[in-house]
Amino acid sequence: MTSVARILAVWLTPVVALGVPAALAARGPDGLWLGLVVTLAPLIALGAGGVRPAAADGASADGTLFPVVTLLLTVGVLLWANIALAGDVAAWLGAGRWQGIVITAAAGWLLTAWRPLGRTAPMLLAIAFLAAVMVLLQLAWALALGPLAAWDRVASQPAFRFPPSSPWVIAGRDLGVVRGGVPLVFDEVHRLTAPAGGVLRARTLDGARLADIEWTLAPGQTVTLRAGDEILRGSTLRLRFEADKRVPGSPASGMLWADARPRGLGERMGLAVTLLTGAVALLRAGLAARPARDRLGVAAGGLLLAFMWAQGWAVYALIQAPDLFLGGVTLERLLELPAHALFAEPWRRTLQALLLAAGLAAFLASSLALRGRLGALDSTGGGEIGHDPGLWAGLFGGAALASLWPVDPWALSLLALGGAGCALGPAALWPPRHGRTAVTAGVIGLIVFAGLAAVQLRGAGGGLLGAAVAYPALVAAPAGALVLWLGRRIRR
Amino acid sequence: MRPVTTRTIGVVLLALLLAGFFLLGALPNQVASVRVAGLSLLWWYGGVLAPMMAVLVAIRWFAPRPASPPRE
Repeated sequence: MTSVARILAVWLTPVVALGVPAALAARGPDGLWLGLVVTLAPLIALGAGGVRPAAADGASADGTLFPVVTLLLTVGVLLWANIALAGDVAAWLGAGRWQGIVITAAAGWLLTAWRPLGRTAPMLLAIAFLAAVMVLLQLAWALALGPLAAWDRVASQPAFRFPPSSPWVIAGRDLGVVRGGVPLVFDEVHRLTAPAGGVLRARTLDGARLADIEWTLAPGQTVTLRAGDEILRGSTLRLRFEADKRVPGSPASGMLWADARPRGLGERMGLAVTLLTGAVALLRAGLAARPARDRLGVAAGGLLLAFMWAQGWAVYALIQAPDLFLGGVTLERLLELPAHALFAEPWRRTLQALLLAAGLAAFLASSLALRGRLGALDSTGGGEIGHDPGLWAGLFGGAALASLWPVDPWALSLLALGGAGCALGPAALWPPRHGRTAVTAGVIGLIVFAGLAAVQLRGAGGGLLGAAVAYPALVAAPAGALVLWLGRRIRR
Repeated sequence: MRPVTTRTIGVVLLALLLAGFFLLGALPNQVASVRVAGLSLLWWYGGVLAPMMAVLVAIRWFAPRPASPPRE
């Protein structure tokens, strides 16, 4: 059972677990593709390819240093992404960003440094899952809607409008915490109020002419924007929106959300290859024996349940809080209870606390499981790397410091999974006899990945080339696999 | 040539489940948007059927190979 929990905890970090409902809410069918790949990738990774040959064949120091260092860096970046998400959640819920970061990083380090707590991953994962499911069931019960009826309601909505109970309508919220990249363009006349005043910058559409305007609003002052007007990024004042008006940036209707035209084939393949190779690197590297069939079946069941939860959470959230679309759906917004008006105190706070507890427990379980994976790979060091308090203090401390600056946790996780997948994936699937062949293939894969990722900074275009730049693993993983194949033939 | 193992069949089936999502989305006349029992075909497939089939595939086809007897 423990290995099942480890598989699930390594793979379903909070960023990945929340990435699926976020994508489902933002772009229905594309989110469905992501959820399907996240569910199937670990199974393909564990089922495909061969298992590492006996330690005597390839476990020389030159063959293990590269995977250990690569996985260490991968774990560091994954911790960074998840701790940054904790900071985002804290900022979104009105606390200090540093508070979320310190709590998660300190708890994660304590758990990994204290050996007796090393076996608590299955329990933490169970707590996370039960808490998340409990909140979802409570939401479904309060709405008196089954999952199919809930999906049908979302997919039949003529438009996504601000509910009167939305925090954006009642007290307003700071625009500065909206981190999604979707433009705040209005579809209809909308009166905005600045309860505390501030500077609002907007691009208004006057006929065919665009004009950038800056208003300095007194507390309580209102401004009216028309269809086509856009609030510019950088406005950090608190704003109150009107109830029953369309949410800027939301799909035109529920039908368009449910049946949206999916992204191109190249992009979808790129996402799939990134996640598949990442799953191989995280779950297969250093694997000496395949999990038993019954355990793999239980792991598959766990992944299925997690995907079902993600779908339910996305749909119920869209019913109760269509303001999720404002500025773009981001991960931290999915850890806020979406039904402010449905529950009275103290239920509301209890459910919100349960959600946060689920997130923290999932993070701790993932930290422990990732530490375990790293230890399993370190065959020459006897797995000691997984228990070095100094090393882990540095890893958590570095990740916490880096998290003080907001980053996109999802993009960071994809970068980590893609990089690890290109460096370790091919050799983990088809283990060569000689460690050097694996290292050469991994280095080439990593170089190609880094090169394309660097090009990504200049922006990805369209088509297959654009997909290769947006998802470097699409090219880098086959490149590494080709080098591995050549190396195996030459050294045969 | 290496023999095709049950695991290989399982992996191919999982890949086919992923490919099915592409094919369904590419069908003409937006067949994937047809609603059946409140849910569109694409969502039935991608959200319910394919993940459930994946669990069955994992249970049925991912049995570890029996250990081979030691060579003399």
